[in-house]
Amino acid sequence: MRFTWMYAKSQLRLKRRYTVLGVLWNLLEPLLYLGALSVVFSYVNRMRVSDYAVFLFSALVPWRYFEKVVSGCTDSIVQGDWLLKKLPASPFSFPLARWIVASAEFGFSFAAVALILVLVKEHWTVHVIVLPLSALPWAITALGVGLCCATLFTFFRDVRPVVQVALMFAFFTAPILFNPDLFPSGSAQARLLAWHPLTYLAALFQKPVYAGQWPGLMDWTVSSAAAVVALALGITSVRWTRPRLYFYL
Amino acid sequence: MSANVFDLPDVSVRFRKNVVSARSLKYSLESWVRGQPLATHAGLSDVSLSVASGERLGVIGRNGAGKSTLLRVLARVIVPQRGLVTVDPTRRIVPLLELGVGFQPDLSGAENCLLAGTLLGLPPARIDARLEHIVGFAQIDGFIHEPVKNDSSGMYARLAFALAFDVEPDVLLVDEVFGVGDEFFMEKCLARVDALVAAGVTSVFVSHNLDFLQAQCSRLVWLDHGRLVMDGEPALVARAYRDRRGVFEN
Repeated sequence: MRFTWMYAKSQLRLKRRYTVLGVLWNLLEPLLYLGALSVVFSYVNRMRVSDYAVFLFSALVPWRYFEKVVSGCTDSIVQGDWLLKKLPASPFSFPLARWIVASAEFGFSFAAVALILVLVKEHWTVHVIVLPLSALPWAITALGVGLCCATLFTFFRDVRPVVQVALMFAFFTAPILFNPDLFPSGSAQARLLAWHPLTYLAALFQKPVYAGQWPGLMDWTVSSAAAVVALALGITSVRWTRPRLYFYL
Repeated sequence: MSANVFDLPDVSVRFRKNVVSARSLKYSLESWVRGQPLATHAGLSDVSLSVASGERLGVIGRNGAGKSTLLRVLARVIVPQRGLVTVDPTRRIVPLLELGVGFQPDLSGAENCLLAGTLLGLPPARIDARLEHIVGFAQIDGFIHEPVKNDSSGMYARLAFALAFDVEPDVLLVDEVFGVGDEFFMEKCLARVDALVAAGVTSVFVSHNLDFLQAQCSRLVWLDHGRLVMDGEPALVARAYRDRRGVFEN
């Protein structure tokens, strides 16, 4: 665990080491990305820029974190062959290190979003205090899915494009870019969204930030269940395949 | 508890052949559908070996004989497909299968000492306290805060060696890492190994240097094609190995 933590810290340090702006990029990068997106999509969705920015950022920031963890974890065990073939290190170290790095960057993105929202959102409610808790199911689900992908990728290198397509599919079918209220209740789209786990994970951020509400019981239940199942599957997959990993690195 | 540090009863390790194509889902599915077993080759075949506490074991063999695989099994890097390896859990085992494991090219020497040191079981506070000594041993005083990618290969190896040998191991597993740095640095390293051996550290050395193994080891094993060919007194095993030019045939 000590190595994992130190390795993650070194990766964070190295990321901006040779840049002129250094750690400032941690704030600038999400600011530029989210700024560009909100301007473009506000025209597509025909909402006011400020209104759409609040809606978009509320779920896009945790989604980007999720995506970064899953993509980063996928090849992490294979990329860790420099250590796993030389020392009796835990294969969990590498996905965990990527998760720690992405989590730190998520923190920075969150700070950037808060900065933007302070400028564009007119009415704030007390519900935003729940956000640190809302991040937990996202973080645990991302780690679980990341561990599963890391194991699968070690044995089958074909997994990477499948993961990319699955992430893209999940993103475009989840109510992150579009407001779920666009669809009348009972419509096919609304029924599909009800079965989409990301609908509930997204609601953990959208409701407190955009709608000024507490996330519902259903949101917490589905999100927590997704997190527990994903993490259990992830840990089991790495543990189960651990004796064979060396031969596939 | 057994006085042995390692017990390997009939250990076998097999590696898959054609690993590049075998890594695709298509290849695996085709093999599965056709009922063809995946082609493998032996890394170790039914090797039985025990290493007693304080013993200095040398391993010889031609390239591909299974020496490094054996060391990786002892280091618990490889889990054998057959045979259960028993390792004394109370011993601090330091595997030196390669110099500079854990070093990141863009990190400085000092940062790398902290990172790689944790892999060898050293707490950061201890590495901080010992850094001056490590740098002194490696003789790279002016470069410790520069990225190691800028170091010469000799400086890189000296730092890695100095760090690895600053650990106080109970068991040392060394895979052909002697031969770094200049002659004088090598002398220092060998003196450090002598000191560890004299202190009763259990050691396993893999090397092609028979003279070194004969001088350092109390026992020698000869591997060929993954099989244990001979196990015994260093002079006897070395003579047989030289006489047969490393080739053993039943």
